[in-house]
Amino acid sequence: MAAAASEFESSSLRRPLAWSVGLHVGFTAFVILYAMFVPSLRGQGWGAGGGGEAMGATLVTSVPLPASAEQTNNVLATESKGLAHSEPKPVEKEPEAIPIPDKNTKTKQKPVTTATQRKPEPEREETNQIPYGEGGPASGPYTMFSAGGAKGGFGFTGGGGDFGSRFSWYVQAVQRKVSENWLKYEVDPGIREANRVYVTFDIARDGHPANVQIEQSSGVPSLDISAMRAIQRIDTFGPLPPEYSGNKVSVEFWFDYKR
Amino acid sequence: MSNSTRSSRYFIFAVALILVLATAGSAQDWIRTGTGLGMEKVRIAAADFKPSTQDPKNADLLKTFNDTLSNDLDNAGIFDLVSKSFHPLQTPGQPSEVNFSAWSSPPPNAAMLAFGNLGVTADKVSVQGWLYDLKNQASPQVLAKQYSDSATADAVRTIAHKFADEIIFRLGGGVAGIAETKIYFVSDRSGHKEIWMMDYDGENQTQLTHLGSISLSPRISPDSSRVAFSSATKSGWEIMMYSFDLNRMVSFPRFGGMNLSPSWSPDGKIAFSSSRNGYPNIYVMEGSGGNARRLTNDQGPDVSPTWNRKTGAQIAFVSGRTGLPQIYTMDADGTNLQRVTEQGYAVSPNWSPNGQFLTFSWMRKYGPGDPGGNDLYLMDIASKQWVQLTHDAGRNDFPCWSPDGRHIVFQSHRTGSDQIFSMLADGTHVKQLTSKGGNTQPNWSWK
Amino acid sequence: MKHQMRMWVLFVVALGAVAFLAACGGHRKLPAPPPPAPPEAQLPTASLAANPNTINAGESTTLTWQTTNATDVSIDGIGPVDPSGSRQVTPATSTTYHLIAKGAGGTQDATARVTVSAAPAAGQPPAENLTEQELFAKNVRDIYFDYDKADIRASEQPSVQGDAQFLQQHSSIHITVEGYCDERGSTEYNLALGTNRADAVKNALVQAGVAGDRIKTFSYGKEKPFCTQSTEACWQENRRGHLVYEK
Repeated sequence: MAAAASEFESSSLRRPLAWSVGLHVGFTAFVILYAMFVPSLRGQGWGAGGGGEAMGATLVTSVPLPASAEQTNNVLATESKGLAHSEPKPVEKEPEAIPIPDKNTKTKQKPVTTATQRKPEPEREETNQIPYGEGGPASGPYTMFSAGGAKGGFGFTGGGGDFGSRFSWYVQAVQRKVSENWLKYEVDPGIREANRVYVTFDIARDGHPANVQIEQSSGVPSLDISAMRAIQRIDTFGPLPPEYSGNKVSVEFWFDYKR
Repeated sequence: MSNSTRSSRYFIFAVALILVLATAGSAQDWIRTGTGLGMEKVRIAAADFKPSTQDPKNADLLKTFNDTLSNDLDNAGIFDLVSKSFHPLQTPGQPSEVNFSAWSSPPPNAAMLAFGNLGVTADKVSVQGWLYDLKNQASPQVLAKQYSDSATADAVRTIAHKFADEIIFRLGGGVAGIAETKIYFVSDRSGHKEIWMMDYDGENQTQLTHLGSISLSPRISPDSSRVAFSSATKSGWEIMMYSFDLNRMVSFPRFGGMNLSPSWSPDGKIAFSSSRNGYPNIYVMEGSGGNARRLTNDQGPDVSPTWNRKTGAQIAFVSGRTGLPQIYTMDADGTNLQRVTEQGYAVSPNWSPNGQFLTFSWMRKYGPGDPGGNDLYLMDIASKQWVQLTHDAGRNDFPCWSPDGRHIVFQSHRTGSDQIFSMLADGTHVKQLTSKGGNTQPNWSWK
Repeated sequence: MKHQMRMWVLFVVALGAVAFLAACGGHRKLPAPPPPAPPEAQLPTASLAANPNTINAGESTTLTWQTTNATDVSIDGIGPVDPSGSRQVTPATSTTYHLIAKGAGGTQDATARVTVSAAPAAGQPPAENLTEQELFAKNVRDIYFDYDKADIRASEQPSVQGDAQFLQQHSSIHITVEGYCDERGSTEYNLALGTNRADAVKNALVQAGVAGDRIKTFSYGKEKPFCTQSTEACWQENRRGHLVYEK
C-alpha cells in the first residue's frame, strides 16, 4: 500500500494520514482520560449493596402505590347498596345511593388502568407473593367495591313479605357475606357484559344456605357458575333472627355483570 | 320501607353488589374469603352504659364494662367502631331514650348502636343491653339481653365479653366472636419456663404449672378440657397434661427419648415429634396416650406438626431433611407428602380453622451469619400464594389462629424481649398482650 | 519537503502526547480504586470456655480462651492474661467468668459460666471419683457443629477419637451427651436439631468402640445456652454436643 501510495501524489495521502493519526491520538487520549476520571466517580459504589436486595426492594415498594388508589375507592363505596338506583324503594331507604353512582362513574377508569398496570406483576413473581398492600388491610385495597359496573340485588320471601324491613341487619349480613365470597376471576375475563342472572336459595333456621339454583341464566356459563359458587362457598349466614317465626327464608338474588 | 309494588308475598329491595373487575383483583380474593375480614365494616357505636342504681360500686364496674365492651368490638375485625369523641352528649340507658337521628347522622354516622344500663344491688350486678339498627326506626331491635352476676370486676368483664360476642355473632355472619376465648403460653417470669393462660385480650394472666423444669409448646385440647405440653425430665422431654376439670396435672404415658410439640386433631388425637426410635419423627397417638404410631421415617429432624382443623385429615409439619427447615404437608396416615416452602428457613406452621390457610414463620432470604429476620406469612394451601404479615419488626415466631379465623396471636422480639402479640389476619391492628418477663409460644383456644 | 517535515513533527508530537498521557493517566489511575482496609482496624475476636462447666464444690475447672487482634486481654477475677491460653480455677460458688479483649479495632468480650453444685453424692469414695471426674474434665472434649448441621465435621474427628479412647480406658464411666443449638431459629426445631446432634455424637462414639448403653442423650435446643452474645463466636460456642459425666 505504501509503495503504491508513493506512486501517487504524496500530498493526497498526507492529509488522510494526518487525520488518522489525529483521530487515534484523540481516541487514545479520550480512553485514558475516561479511565482516569470515571473510576474515581464510581469506584466506591461497586462493592456496596447486592443486586439481590435491590430486586427485593422494588418488589415491595413499587406495588402499593396503585393499590392505594383502590383503597380510596373502597372508602367511598362502603355503603355498597348504593347502585340499586333502578329500584325506587331502596332510594328512599338509603339516600346515600344517589351520590355514589357519580363517584363510581368517575372512578370507572381507575380499575382498568390499575388492572393493566398490575397484570405483569404476577408474572414477575416467580414466588407467588401477593405484593404487600394488595393482600393487605381489610379496609384497604381489596378493590372489591370500587366501581366496575356490576350491580346486583336481593329479595327475601316468606314471613309475610316483611322480612327485609324487620331484619334489615340480617339482610345486610347476607349481602356482605355473598360479596365477600364472590371470586371474580371465575368469570371469563373476555366477558364484558352479560344479561341478568337470577339465583335462588333458601336460608335454613341455622343460617345454612340450601337449594341453590339458577332461576334464569345470564347466558354466560362462567358467570352463572361463579354466582352459584359464591353462595355454595358459605357455611352459614348466622342463624335466622329468633323473632322470625318461619323455618326458612327464600332469597332471590339477581346480578348484572358489566366490565 | 315496605311499600312494595309487587305482591305482598314478595318484597324485593335491591342491595347492590359492586364487584371489582380488575383481573389482578383475583390476587386478594382468597384472603378476603378465607379470613372473613371482608371489605365492608359495619359502623357501630358502643355507647357508655348508664348506671341503673345508686350504688357506689357502679362507677368502677361501669368503667370496666364500657372499656371491655369497646375493646372487644374494636378488636373483632369486622367493625368500624365510632370514636367516643363523636358520641352525642346524651347517651341512652333504655330503648325509649334512643335518639336515632343524633346517632345516625354525622359525626357519629353509626349504622348500629349498642347501649344499655348496669347497676349493683346488694352484691349482685345486673346488666341490660340492646343492639339497635339505626337505619330501621320501625323495628330497630336486633338484640336484647339481660345478665346478672356477682358484683366483681371479673364478672363484669365476662358479661361484657358475652355481650360483645353476641353482637359479633349476629352481625358477623354467624361466626362466633372471640371475646371469651383464652390463650395459653409459656412464661419464664417465675424463674422457670412454665405454662400460663390469659384472656384473649391479655387480662387475667395465670400460672398453671409449677414444675420447676423447662415446659414448652402448650396446646389446648379442642374442648378446652386439657392442655398438652412438653416438659424436660431427667430421661428426656415428655408430653404432659394439665387438666382443667381437675385443676392439676394428670398422669400421661412416658415414652422415653425427646417428645416435643404436641398438636390436637379435631377428634382428640395428638400428633407429636418423638425420637424414641432414633431420629425425631412425627407420630400420632390417641388423646389418652395409647396406640402411638409413626408417620414419618427419615433423619429429619421432623417437628412441630399441626392438624388441618377443618377436616382432621392432613398434618403440616417442619422437616430439616433437606438442610434448612422447610414446611411439608401429608395425609393423617403419613402418605402423600408434599413440600410447601422451597427455600429459606420456615418453621412453626399453624393451620387455619377453615382449613384454607397456613400461617408460619419464615426467613426467606437466608444466609449464614444472619442474626434472624423471621417474619410471619400467610399462605393459601391450594394455590400456594402467600402474603407477608409482619415487616421489619424483629424476630416473629409461633403464629396461632383464633377460632374465628380473623386473628393471629404470635410471639415477637420487637420490643427487645420475647412478648406475645395479637393482630388481625391481614397483619393490621397489632396489640401487645404481655410485658412481664419473657413470654413465648402462644396457643389460642378452639372456642 | 516542508509538508513532509510538518507531518513527521505532528506524528512525533502525537506519539509523545500519547506516551505522556498514558504515563500520567496510568499514574493517576492507581489511586482511584479505594484502598483495602488497613489490617490494624479489624475488630478483635474472643472466645472463652470452661471445661467442665458444672463441678462439685471444691473441684476445679479449666478455663480456655482464644483471642485474635487483641493487645490487652483480661479476665475478671484473674487479671491480665495472654491472648490465648488456659488456666485452672477453683471457684467456690457458681461464677460467670468475663473475658475482655481490647485491640486497636475495638473491644470484644466473652463469658463462660461455671456452675458449682453441692458436695458429691455420699457413699462413693470421694478421692476416686474426683480423680476420675477431673480426668474426664481434662481429657474429654465437647464436639462442635456447623450451622443447622448435625453431622460431625472432619475437624472434630480428633476430639471424637480422643473421647472414645478415654471412655474405653475408663470403662466404668457413663455419660450423657447433651445437644445444644445457637440462639437463632425456633425453639421447637432447635430441640429436635439438638436431639440429632446428641445422637450423632453418640453414634460416632459407638462406632469408635464405646458400648452404647453407657451413653444417654438429651437435647436442650437453645434453652440453656453457654453464652448469650449475638456473635458468631458465641453461636459456635453453643452449637455443640456436650459430654456430661454421670456417676
